[in-house]
Amino acid sequence: MTDEKKPTAPSEAVPAGSVSGIQQAPTTTPPADAGQRPGGEARPAPAAPPNVAPASPAAQQAKPGVVNATIDGIPVSVPPGTPIIEAAKSVGVDIPFYCYHKGLSIAANCRMCMVEVSNAPPGKLVPACQSPVAEGQKVTTNSPRVLEHHRAVQEFLLLHHPVDCSICDQAGECKLQDYFMEYDHDASRLDMPKWMKNKRKDLSPSITLDQERCIMCTRCVRFMAEVAKEPVLGAFGRGTREVIDVFPGKQMTSNYQGNVVDICPVGALTSRDYRFRARSYFLTATPSVCTGCSRGCNTFLDHFQGVPYRYRPRENMDVNQYWMCDIGRGSYHQLYEERVAKARVGKGDAVAAEAVRVAAEKLKGAGAAVVVSPVLSLEDAMAVMLVAKEGLGAKEIFVSGRADETGDDFLLRGDRNPNRKGVELAAQAFGLAVRGWNDLGKSKAKAVLLAGVDVPAAPEQVAAWLGGLDTVVALAANDGPVAQAAHVVLPLATHAEGEGTFVNFEGRAQRFLPAYPPRGDVKPGWFWATAIGAELGLAYRYASAREVFLEQSRRLAAGALGTFDWDDAPRDRIKGVTPLTGGTVDGRPPGWRQLVPLRTPNTAA
Amino acid sequence: MSEFALQRVAERFPDAVVQGYAYRGDETLVIQREHLVEVARFCKDDPELDLKLPLSVTCVDFIDEKPRFELVYTLYSITKKHHLRLKVRVGEDDPTVPSTISVWRGMDWWERYCWDMYGIRFSDRGPMKRLWMYEEFEGHPLRKDFPLRGRQPLIPEADIQDIYRGPGPGPGSPPASRSNPPRPSQLPIVK
Amino acid sequence: MPDNHEIADTSAVGALDAPLPRKTMSINMGPSHPASHGTVRFNIELDGENIVKLDPEIGFLHRGFEKSCENVTWQQCLPYTDRLNYVSALCNNFGFLTAIEKLAGIEIPERAKYIRTIGAEIHRLCDHLTCVGAMGMELGGFAPFLYAVEARELLWDRIAELTGARVTTSFGRIGGVERDLPEGWVQKVEDTLVKVEEFRHEIDELLTHNRIFIDRTRGTGVLSAEDAVDFGFTGPMLRASGVDYDVRKAHPYWVYDRVQFRVPLGTTGDNFDRYYMRMAEMEESISILRQCFAQMQPGPHIVDDWRFVLPPKPQVYSTIEGVIGHFKLIMEGVKIPKGECYSFTESPNGELGWYLVSDGSGRPYKVHCRAPGIQMVGALEHMVKGSLLPDLIPTFDAINMIGGEVEQ
Repeated sequence: MTDEKKPTAPSEAVPAGSVSGIQQAPTTTPPADAGQRPGGEARPAPAAPPNVAPASPAAQQAKPGVVNATIDGIPVSVPPGTPIIEAAKSVGVDIPFYCYHKGLSIAANCRMCMVEVSNAPPGKLVPACQSPVAEGQKVTTNSPRVLEHHRAVQEFLLLHHPVDCSICDQAGECKLQDYFMEYDHDASRLDMPKWMKNKRKDLSPSITLDQERCIMCTRCVRFMAEVAKEPVLGAFGRGTREVIDVFPGKQMTSNYQGNVVDICPVGALTSRDYRFRARSYFLTATPSVCTGCSRGCNTFLDHFQGVPYRYRPRENMDVNQYWMCDIGRGSYHQLYEERVAKARVGKGDAVAAEAVRVAAEKLKGAGAAVVVSPVLSLEDAMAVMLVAKEGLGAKEIFVSGRADETGDDFLLRGDRNPNRKGVELAAQAFGLAVRGWNDLGKSKAKAVLLAGVDVPAAPEQVAAWLGGLDTVVALAANDGPVAQAAHVVLPLATHAEGEGTFVNFEGRAQRFLPAYPPRGDVKPGWFWATAIGAELGLAYRYASAREVFLEQSRRLAAGALGTFDWDDAPRDRIKGVTPLTGGTVDGRPPGWRQLVPLRTPNTAA
Repeated sequence: MSEFALQRVAERFPDAVVQGYAYRGDETLVIQREHLVEVARFCKDDPELDLKLPLSVTCVDFIDEKPRFELVYTLYSITKKHHLRLKVRVGEDDPTVPSTISVWRGMDWWERYCWDMYGIRFSDRGPMKRLWMYEEFEGHPLRKDFPLRGRQPLIPEADIQDIYRGPGPGPGSPPASRSNPPRPSQLPIVK
Repeated sequence: MPDNHEIADTSAVGALDAPLPRKTMSINMGPSHPASHGTVRFNIELDGENIVKLDPEIGFLHRGFEKSCENVTWQQCLPYTDRLNYVSALCNNFGFLTAIEKLAGIEIPERAKYIRTIGAEIHRLCDHLTCVGAMGMELGGFAPFLYAVEARELLWDRIAELTGARVTTSFGRIGGVERDLPEGWVQKVEDTLVKVEEFRHEIDELLTHNRIFIDRTRGTGVLSAEDAVDFGFTGPMLRASGVDYDVRKAHPYWVYDRVQFRVPLGTTGDNFDRYYMRMAEMEESISILRQCFAQMQPGPHIVDDWRFVLPPKPQVYSTIEGVIGHFKLIMEGVKIPKGECYSFTESPNGELGWYLVSDGSGRPYKVHCRAPGIQMVGALEHMVKGSLLPDLIPTFDAINMIGGEVEQ
């Protein structure tokens, strides 16, 4: 099955979840090629069969347009054309694979996913990724023959694989490691020196290729050709000498080249930005949303002890499928670069409560212009607007945000702010008019409340203009000329340090989870807004973003957020793993532990 | 090891037994909490079972399942030389189980351990006291949602530089930037 | 502290003949007391010198063993098990590993079984020496303690040569033991055992027929066989009451079915019998050790399965398979299949049970250590109620409560 998959931008009318007309069976486990192994359940064996209703053969055949078979004795009913590997995943049977990827065409060259089927040519195993389920087929994935085959393929792949685990970035999320422990777990039988190739070829400023580690699955070649539409990678040579390389004279320039690092099952293609910075098994993966543009690609934010290390795309067939762009990937640097750590009044640090009091005093009755950045979450924006309307008597809000740039025809959008739609919806809900950044200059306001210091113009110019005003109160995450021009600065938490919602350009509301708690005085935007509101005399007291959302989202127009449900968050917890109290370390790497917010019960105050 | 014990109890209390199985040679019976005491008494008094030695009661917290807690009773018969495991599932909204100290007095302190560490209440016995933690302690430490470092000191702690600090560079080091990204290499001592 | 309450005798005949109204006295035998080895606080209500109520309070050494185990890999639990019964750490180590091997379905090689038996018996000797010596010391005789500790030191020297540490050994790995016996070690242990026998004999002569010792321990802390079983006693405490249950005989494990040894049985269930159980078991342990040395054959000391055992270092450094195996086992932990099991061995104080629940990942889901001492300290009130306060001392000594395992 070598159908050409046309990657479509998800806003076009492609039925959700369909790839070239083939319906993917719904899965409940994260894709194995995202480098995560699903945590086992804690129930002891005697295993109950997975929750597939065993239908009688007569009842199975009665349904039209569905193919019935058994996989390891478990009956499956799938749409015609479903590969065995997907049908197996839908009933909880994991078949190992390297070259298969749901978002790419099928190559079937790794030979790892071979299974026994009842209708195969005699003496042959068939690749599960390439073979569609046939009617009445009996598939066996755990017979001794199949297991020996997996073991043998694994051994062959490791024959000339360099002894690199100690220095390879992929360690901990490497399929070779996982399948070796599962199937082979035995000593090497190689009795000759390993074949050497180019070990450190920079394909671009962000990707490095190690040809020795490559297992020639050609996922990268297919990706660059089919998804990134920049077919610069190819397989050259034959046999042991086969290597992946760029075509002579070509370079990798695509905005989506970072995805090859994710899809490479081994450490052949690695990210130069991430190189040698962290070990993946120390990182905790929190489901989050990218803030690079208004598409809101779903991501995993990998972090360790309060430091973000990288973004990885999270599968969402409606938004970003399996991919994200390099601009979004690089946006994690803003989460820690030059952060405002303490509240400031004037030029010096101040106690947070004092700064809030000064801010409220300066803004009260000053006819302040409220500028809301569309990088803020929906809850932050709603809280700011609530205070603007009821505490400051504003009739309009100004939307700042990062300047528009060019988008492309795949994921990147020109609007580089994640929540513009959310800010607009919130303004509508509060009955505030929405004005652009240019209108701010025209307004005669002498006092400005900047909720978020992302500005579409040059920061120095903006700082100069702000210097001419009487009062500038800024909620700032990153320090810079704009934050330094403010008279009162309150340290704002990024989206990684709190939870909330972004509404993307389609009106889709997406929740992001908190990765690590904010340090020191840093607080989320709704907290500062509520505090200023309290100083202005308002009675709102909120303890969490959830409360803000549940109370204030009632003002939103009915159906504005579709079927969004705050509590229906993406799963982030590994079952049974004890959470660490937020803000503590215990001297050991937490690995897959999750952090909980500071206000857990039973902690020292 | 035979499944004799499972059959005998299941015959006598058909509605009490939810499931019986043997894994790695250990017979296990999952029973309903209402019938716990009578099944326990039968296990002790029945001459064929004669499970007179109470080894322990423990609790397993399956936080992602309902019902959440699983109490595990391990019993032994010195004369018949067999073990039996009784399991009872209770949810977290009503973690109460009838006490078996009327059957075996040795279960007393193990039940206190279940109360202390998991918050399982045992009815038909006096007020429960904590076993290992001090009475003023809040929470039940072995539950899966109790943090690993849930310190609750009763006296104020001295202000010394200990190793349990938050992550990140301390005062005096250069601010983080793209060319000098933050690293956790300051562990274990971060001032 | 419990309230004082009146003891009124309503059968008064005449004012002059009526018994004087008395109050019970509540005293606190605090966590650190020279006559109790272990940090236990006793809230005692006394009527004169008789104990009316006794409430032991434990938890001073609670370090969160179970919680810590749930957050580390299976192999990293091993040093935590050392610290349970810290006087006989090897018994804890090997018991824990035996439970894991039962759950995973691993069969360890013969030599590993012998080494485990040898280690467990040596540490059994250490534990019994500690108990007997401390019992003598707390009843006033310091000399037996010195002899016991000297014998223990000699044994610890041998253990240090074998494992690298005297007390917190962390010896043993899933699938066997960490390393084979050192050269010449067996001969050294044989020499040491001769000296230990001499010391044991000295203690025997000092205590067993000692008038004061007999007066203090005979007839005190009596527990009937039925009560002992009902309270969940195991080990020497149970056998002192006359119940013949020794895990090594009832459910033999390692090589206990290949060595000949007797199990001493008491008659009265008082403290003297408990003391004597330990003295007799020391003799048997020495005999078991000699038989093991005679029977042992050379062979591998750990299974050869990289799912559970680290690959040899030369392969870790030179082959991809070795380095992958090493990496995955260390970072993710040994993957024990999903399931649960209860496994038990005879530790010096009783049946040490392990209830393990595995969720298939490399970290335990639950590790429960059934410490033999917990139920014994719980039964302490029953044992000494009504007797004199000084009878509490030998009873508590005979229990040999090790804070590490009772409070985990």
